[in-house]
This record gives sequence, structure tokens and C-alpha cells, in this order.
Amino acid sequence: MASEKMKLEVWKGDWGLPSVDPHCLAVLAYCKYSGVPIEIVKTGNPWKSPTGNFPVLRHKGEAYCKVTDIFSYLRKEHWGSDFELTTKQSADVVAFSALLEEKLLPALLHLWWMDDKTFVDVTRPWYARAIPFPLSLFLPGRTQRKAELRVNLTKGGDYISETETETKIYKEAKECLNLLSHKLGEKQYMFGRLPSSLDALVFGYLAPLLKAPLPNNQLYNHLIQCDNLCRVVNDVLVTFFPADLREMEEKQKKEQQKAKTNSSDNSEFPNRRRNMILAGLFALSAMAAYAWSSGLIQIQITDLDSASSHNKSANSRRGQVTVGGGDGPS
Amino acid sequence: MHPVTYIGRKLLPREKRYAIIEREFLAIVWAVGKLSCYLLGDAFYIETDSKPLTPLPERTTIGQRQEMALVADALQATVGASEPWPDDVLLYQQYKAEQITLPDCTQCLAVEAFLRMCGLRFNVKCKTNAEEMSPSGKVPFIQAGPYLVSEFEPVVGFVARKGFSLSRDMSDTDRSEMRAYMSMLENILGNAELYMAWFNPEISNEVTKPRYGCSYPWPLNWVLAWKKQRAMIALLTANDWASKTVEEVTEEVHTCCLALSEKLDKKKYFFGDSPTELDALVYGHLYTLLTTKLPGGPFTSVIREFQNLAEFCKRVDSAYFSD
Repeated sequence: MASEKMKLEVWKGDWGLPSVDPHCLAVLAYCKYSGVPIEIVKTGNPWKSPTGNFPVLRHKGEAYCKVTDIFSYLRKEHWGSDFELTTKQSADVVAFSALLEEKLLPALLHLWWMDDKTFVDVTRPWYARAIPFPLSLFLPGRTQRKAELRVNLTKGGDYISETETETKIYKEAKECLNLLSHKLGEKQYMFGRLPSSLDALVFGYLAPLLKAPLPNNQLYNHLIQCDNLCRVVNDVLVTFFPADLREMEEKQKKEQQKAKTNSSDNSEFPNRRRNMILAGLFALSAMAAYAWSSGLIQIQITDLDSASSHNKSANSRRGQVTVGGGDGPS
Repeated sequence: MHPVTYIGRKLLPREKRYAIIEREFLAIVWAVGKLSCYLLGDAFYIETDSKPLTPLPERTTIGQRQEMALVADALQATVGASEPWPDDVLLYQQYKAEQITLPDCTQCLAVEAFLRMCGLRFNVKCKTNAEEMSPSGKVPFIQAGPYLVSEFEPVVGFVARKGFSLSRDMSDTDRSEMRAYMSMLENILGNAELYMAWFNPEISNEVTKPRYGCSYPWPLNWVLAWKKQRAMIALLTANDWASKTVEEVTEEVHTCCLALSEKLDKKKYFFGDSPTELDALVYGHLYTLLTTKLPGGPFTSVIREFQNLAEFCKRVDSAYFSD
């Protein structure tokens, strides 16, 4: 057995998922299925990753970056539940993994990186927040270019237009979801009661589709109609990643509370009324001051008693406030 | 832009019972059918102000574009199904002996095997510029009446719309397994063939590039072959295949063949006694890999390890290619 503990670096999670990246999710699920003793580092800093991306598995000074490499390494270290499968089922694992890569991955890449609205609203802000400063300026762009290249070269080409490519890859992805749903049937996992590496891959691809709040997610509408696939994803999340669900619930609670306090702030009428009264008073006094300074209002104060006592015979004047037009006091 | 023609007709009594949305589809399908002589062979737009088309299933998020795809599917289905399989179907490909490259050869053979398994009439026509003639830029393609259809999966779809299918009676589970294995062939063997033919320096310089350029005069034969090689290397890079070594590629091919061998087991064909699309595709790939002589002989020894796969190739060959 390994003397040194394995270390797995993955993208950070969000929206109740342990990670946002399909490949990281697949590796995480595989490790959880078989209880691999592994140190999981959730990070947003791919500075030290050899490919500039995650997942990365480090063990005994070696780094493994591709999902297939990580799976085969873990298998070599005798971790995983694929040993229980018959040779026929192992063949199915290879075939369906290829199906996912060929039919579903292009649609996911398109959804996250090439759909303008999603890229601007969700993907780029998320990665810009997760990745530290100098890297955040060019890493999302690089990943986007890579995704575009892959989708356009494998599915598009000079002979078909962009919209046709888009229609084609989403059609293929929906077909792929149907095929997976047929394959799963009513079973708990693809090959009965034990999860295999194929289940890990499927979970990785489907969980972000189901949980991430993407604005243009047309695959979501299709996926929720495949009940058994949704059930498996939710079961895996509840069984193997309860911490992330709790985290999300707490976050939601906090946000709700925040929203509540915000709304109670808004409904605090006394303060508002006081402010209104103060403002009204200020406006009134300002108008009065203007009127007085321009001579619209004159205030004359004469001491009635002393005036009357000084000269009663003089044309008697009272302390008076005269309000008049522009032509001054009458 | 200005109008060229106005067309219209009364609804038949039964069509009056259609819902509005169905009438709108009817209008589009009818109009395109009527004007097909002007529209065939060209891309065109259909403008519609139909708000009621929006609540159709699966199109709630994307709107117009998908709508058009749906209409296009409906059109292809209705127009395509109305005509039987024509007598003069031609399968275009490059010259087998001198010109065709390894990846193209597998695809041509797979399509040919598929059409033969369906029992459809067709003639193979070799053209040096078949690649440029193809609507998708890839060989092979078939010409059936006014339609040009290229590559394996579109041909399968086209043939299915004419009422011929090898997988109609399969269960859903079997069909999804079949699709998965077909994906595996394209994904692993297809990429491995591209890798060997264009990325491996020995084979690409000695075999693939001279063959690809053989029909052009100097210096075009070098320029075009070089351009093609660059495009193929870009494709392999985008697929993460360019970073693999020859040993890793051979290992992938071994995994793929092992899976196929397990799936085939001792059966006659992959799903019982009658062939399916998968059988055509497997035959196309394996037969080509087994019979093509390339320096270094890649994969031949790998495939020969699996007795039942080699026997399978012989079986299909004698059953469908005996003439």
C-alpha cells in the first residue's frame, strides 16, 4: 500500500457541487465510491498544475492530469470497484466512456464556453473570481479558445455553418442522454448495485448540467425528463457529498436571512418619515430664507410698549409682518 | 430583396381540422415541396412570424433556430420518404489502389458494407477529386436522385428515411450499446488511424502524402498534401491525441479491440445472427487495418491477437463482398 498519501487537486465547488468541472467531479466520485484515502485540495489556483487545469493527482512525485490516466493509476494501486465487473461489462465501460466523450462533451464545452450569454454571465465571472489575479486575466480566455478549437474542428468545419454545428451537437447530446437513460434502466448504477468508473464519469458530466444555474441550458430541460439519470445524480450527491449540500443550504439560509434583514430595513417607516420631515423642514426653511433675502418677506420688530411710551402722537406703527408683491411694503 | 412568386391553396376538409401549429407546419412543408425545384441544392431561409410555434417541446429556450432545425427534419423526412430507393445510386470515393488514404479507406469500406448489408443497389464510382465533390469535404458520399449524402452516420440516417434499417427490431438497451460501440470505434480507432496516417512521420512522408497528392501535378501535390496534413494535426491536437506516443496509441487500440472482442464473443455478428450498423463499421475499420500494408505494420499484430475479430472480418467478407 502507498506509504505517502495521495493528493488530488480539483477546481473549487459551487451550487452544492463538490467541484464545478466535469472531470474533477468524475475523479472525486471515483475516489468516494471506493473510499480512497486521499487528500483533496479544492483550489482555484492552477499555477502549479502541469497543464494549467485540474484535476491533478500527485503521488510519489508523479503528477497525473487526465481522467483516464488517473483512473488507470488508481486501478493500478488497487482502488476502485471495476474489479467486480465481468469482462463484458468492462468492454461496455470503454464503449460508453467513448460515447460520453464524443457526444456529450462537445455540448458541455459549447454550453459553458461558447454560448455567449453563459460565458459572460456565469463562466467567466466564476473563473475570474476563483483564479488569483494575474492568471485570471488570461486563463479563462485560453480555456475558451481550446474549447472552441475542439468543438469546431471535430464537429464543425468549413462546410457547415455555426448554427448548424450548434444544432448538431445539442441533438447528439440529447440522443446521448437518451442512450444513457436506456442503459441505466431501473438499476441503481449502470452495472447493478456497485458503482463503476463509468458511473463516476456520468455523474461528472451530468451533475453540473443539473445543478449549475446556466441561463441557456437547453440540455437541462431534456435531462429532467430522464428521471433515472436525475435520481442517480441526486443520490450520489446526497450519499457521497453531503458536506457540499449542507454548505449550500447554509449559504442559502444566510442569503435568505440577508434578504430578510434587507427587506426589514426597507420597511422601517419611522426613519423614513423622520427623514421626510427633516427634508421638508429643510426645504421650507431654505425657501423662507430665500424669500427673506430677496425681500419678499419683511420682518419688522418694534417694541410696542416703548414706542407708544416714547411718542404716542407720532404716526403709530405696530410690530408688523408685511407680505406683499414685488413692489415692497405698502 | 423582392418577391418572386406568391403561392397559396385552400385547406382540404381534413386539414381544416388541424391545429394552428400543424397548419403552419403544413404551409411550410407544402411550400417547400412546391418550390423544391428552385430550392434544391442551396441553403435557404424560411421566415415566419408564427408565435404559436414557440411552445413546441424542446424548443423553449432557444427559439427560432431550433424551430428551423425541426422543420428541416420534418422536410427531409416527408420529402425523402416519398421517393423510393432510386436505381442509379452512386457511391463516390477515391481510387483504392493508388490514391485513397488509410482513414478515408475505412470510412468508404464501412459505408459500402452498410449498403450491401441493407441489400440496396448502388455502384461505386471512383473520382480523383471525390473529396472536393463531397458536400462535407469528406469521402465517401452517395448520390441518390437529387440528394448528396456524405459520411457514415448521415448515410445511415438517409437510408433509414427510405425505409431500410438494420437496427429497427433491436431493444432500446441493445441500440444504446450499439451506439456506444460505434462511438468507441470513431473515437479510438478513427483517431488512431489519423494519428498513424498523418502524424507518424515515417508513414505520412512515405505513404500518405505521396498517395494524397498523386493526382495533382508538381508542386500542387506537395502543397495540398501539406495543407491536409496541417489540418489533420490541428484536429489531433484539439482532441488531445497529438501528445500521445506511438506506444500509447497502440495501447488504446488494444483496449478498443479487447472491448470489441469481448462484445462479439462467439456470436456470428455483434447483436446475434443478423448484421447491424456496428458490424459494417467494425468491418470497415478492421478489414482496412488488416489488409493495408504500411511501414512498421501498425495495429495489424494487435488485431491479430483477437482470433474472433479476424474471423469476423473473413465472415463479412465472404457473405457480402464475394462478388
